[in-house]
Amino acid sequence: MTDIHATTEAEVADAVRAARQWKSPLNIAGRRSKRGLGRHVAQWGTVLDLSGLSGIVDHEPEELVLTVRAATKVTEIRDALAARGQQLGFDPPDWGPLFGAPAGEGTVGGAVAAGLCGSRALRYGRARDHVLGFRAVNGFGEAYKAGGRVVKNVTGFDLPKLMCASMGTLGPLTELTLRVFPRPDCSAVLVTDEMPPEDGLACLRRVWSGPLDPSGLMYRAGAAHIRLDGSAEVLKEKIAALRALLAGVRLRESADDFDAPMQAPEGALWRLAVPPSEAASVAAGSGAADWWADGAGGVLWIVTDVTADLHPAAARAGGSAVRLTGGGAVPPFAPEPAARAALTRAVKAAFDPLGLFNPGRMWEGV
Amino acid sequence: MNLAASDPAILARRAEVVTALRRLVPDGVVADEAGLKAFDGDALTAYRQVPLVCVLPKTKEEVAAVLAFAAETEVPVVPRGAGTSLSGGALPRGDAILLSLTRMNRILGIDYANRRVVAEPGVTNLAVTRAVEGKGFYYAPDPSSQIACTVGGNVAENSGGIHCLKYGLTTNNLLGVELVLPGGASVRLSQSDGGLDLLGVVAGSEGLLGVVVEATLRILPRPPLTRTLLAAFREVPAAGQCVADVIAAGIVPAAMEFMDRRCIQAVEAYCAPGYPRGAEGVLIVELDGIAAEVREATARVTAIARAQGAHEVREAADEAERARLWAGRKAAFPAMGRLAPDMLCMDGTIPRRALPDVLARMAAMSEEYGLGFCNVFHAGDGNLHPLIIFDVMKEGELARAEAFGAEILKLCVAVGGVLTGEHGVGVEKRDLMGAMFSDADLAQQQRLKCAFDGAGLLNPGKVFPTLSACVEQGQMRVRDGRLPFPSLPRF
Repeated sequence: MTDIHATTEAEVADAVRAARQWKSPLNIAGRRSKRGLGRHVAQWGTVLDLSGLSGIVDHEPEELVLTVRAATKVTEIRDALAARGQQLGFDPPDWGPLFGAPAGEGTVGGAVAAGLCGSRALRYGRARDHVLGFRAVNGFGEAYKAGGRVVKNVTGFDLPKLMCASMGTLGPLTELTLRVFPRPDCSAVLVTDEMPPEDGLACLRRVWSGPLDPSGLMYRAGAAHIRLDGSAEVLKEKIAALRALLAGVRLRESADDFDAPMQAPEGALWRLAVPPSEAASVAAGSGAADWWADGAGGVLWIVTDVTADLHPAAARAGGSAVRLTGGGAVPPFAPEPAARAALTRAVKAAFDPLGLFNPGRMWEGV
Repeated sequence: MNLAASDPAILARRAEVVTALRRLVPDGVVADEAGLKAFDGDALTAYRQVPLVCVLPKTKEEVAAVLAFAAETEVPVVPRGAGTSLSGGALPRGDAILLSLTRMNRILGIDYANRRVVAEPGVTNLAVTRAVEGKGFYYAPDPSSQIACTVGGNVAENSGGIHCLKYGLTTNNLLGVELVLPGGASVRLSQSDGGLDLLGVVAGSEGLLGVVVEATLRILPRPPLTRTLLAAFREVPAAGQCVADVIAAGIVPAAMEFMDRRCIQAVEAYCAPGYPRGAEGVLIVELDGIAAEVREATARVTAIARAQGAHEVREAADEAERARLWAGRKAAFPAMGRLAPDMLCMDGTIPRRALPDVLARMAAMSEEYGLGFCNVFHAGDGNLHPLIIFDVMKEGELARAEAFGAEILKLCVAVGGVLTGEHGVGVEKRDLMGAMFSDADLAQQQRLKCAFDGAGLLNPGKVFPTLSACVEQGQMRVRDGRLPFPSLPRF
């Protein structure tokens, strides 16, 4: 089937009404940088290509608010914000190369729908904390909005949070209003000597529970990595305080790129959300040789062979796992308990009663 | 505003409902007139309604049993924490069970390694901080009612407070909940779920989606240093520009509060905090963090305030002076309360740049409605709290006060803001939702409500101006040809 290219919200609504009439599902795409994420469903039907729905609608630097069309490239937003000394707080990483797409293609709508956030989310919050409002089209073919354009708002249900990480299953986003943050003057990365995971992660948790407000706490390549932000003077004091906090641990300043773009590994790549204190034992239990931790251990990346299933271990640790790459028989999203699954389906139906939007991308029928 | 007329069919079954609840929660049913009087409202004091019956469960199983019974018998349920809602979120109904969670008040666990506290819904906000402060931690959301308000109510209302500019609202500090759904089934929702972010939509859902029976909260390390500044301005626009410049400079104060001349006069008469004379507005700015950070930010804020023409900038030298600077701000409510018997506290958010214009237009409205008011303002995030004073005993004053308040909130929306920044919609702003949302916007929110509560039994009459039945939303739920709550009174 030919793709539908929608360049305005009205065209998106037209496409949905047509799909409704023909009961034909829509496969929602931005710039197609993360097509491999989620379940692969053959009968997805027509691609609804939103790549033309691009551009910054409004940036009010002094209000720290940005409104963009959904398929605006993250790189474009990053450049526009950097020109005013600002940044996206949730720090969306570029997952294109993970899924065989070129770097720099990812859209902000895709980043939000996939719930992407980078290591700075530790300090600034995740995508869910930064989407102030949105416009979208529901499964009735109606355009609607939710949230607002100010940082503090409790008017009505917080649908913006629900749209984050919903994988497009609740409908195509057309516009997003995001919170933005000032960029720090300087950053420094400090790295420990090699140390066992238990010790390295314990160091990171000590920093996380201290007063330094770190903007990244990663354990990788056998060492703890700590990123601190501030003006030159503040940074000097933070580094001194860090050395005092971790007395006895050797720290060297490093020019390491904290968020080097990821390439697809051999096998399957998993991302787990776990209580930080469980990270080392979950990683060890997975038997994987290649893993690293972000967010003081709260975010765990593990490379397994394609048959491994990390869902049970993540659940036992009080967290969850999502398989990002490596299409085996193991589902990307963990099966939900019955009451929760029923609720998920009811919520899906509230936005998309005919099951038109990316059906099956998260679970059968969702 | 007219309160909902009670459904006579439910009133007729009252004895049966009371008996059944006594069986489910043997020692926790209040059904006598005098006892129920204590539960006849919340902090939206202009409205009172005695509930059908009040039940106070002690366990999640009892909560589930009450909700299962309510679903079976189609009796609505109004959940309640400490009853401190300023928007009528916990306002009872004469034909609904009032479900008070205050007896579920235990802290179930403190996990310092993962910086989290597990609490029952009836634990007070301040009790969370009290439980962890010995180890240098605190719970960040600090609504002004924190001594009384409960964690469950905070989740329902997505409560904020003075420090949410830097540390976020409840939703940003909530790691998970256990939620009992209408019908009695229970689900666990967490920020680390791999699926849909249902936790995100439950926070701030004003008791319409489920009843929180357990909450997991993020605790933060107490910052080593806090400094408080007061800057006085002879012109309101200068104060507004100072706020904008501080934010634009990349400084994120822990708090940044504005008080207008009317408020300063009221608090000076009430407790004499000694704010500078001749000020049209004062800003209180609090900065926290490590020493170098606070020193640097203090110097920058001082310079910005002076550049905007502040005629006085004071820095609290010690804890006692810091308390004095805050005393006036914290006394704003009682100070205004002394000027008239009744008060409405409004709660809109505006883009910060609109502040001077909005303040000027509110002053004109005050003349027009012939009612006094003052402004306190969480300036850093644009959250306005105009306090309107009136006398409910004077003919027509309540209606005039409500009309004044409604006009302020519509103005907030018109300048690009929202109806409520932290108090919730409740019944107070229910009929204003159309000023901010289209029919399609509201219908989508109501479809979500139906996904959780198809029978419309949880906290009916709150948030939405019209209760369209779930049948219209494509999720049929009609029993015996009757729609639940076919008509709600409107004002």
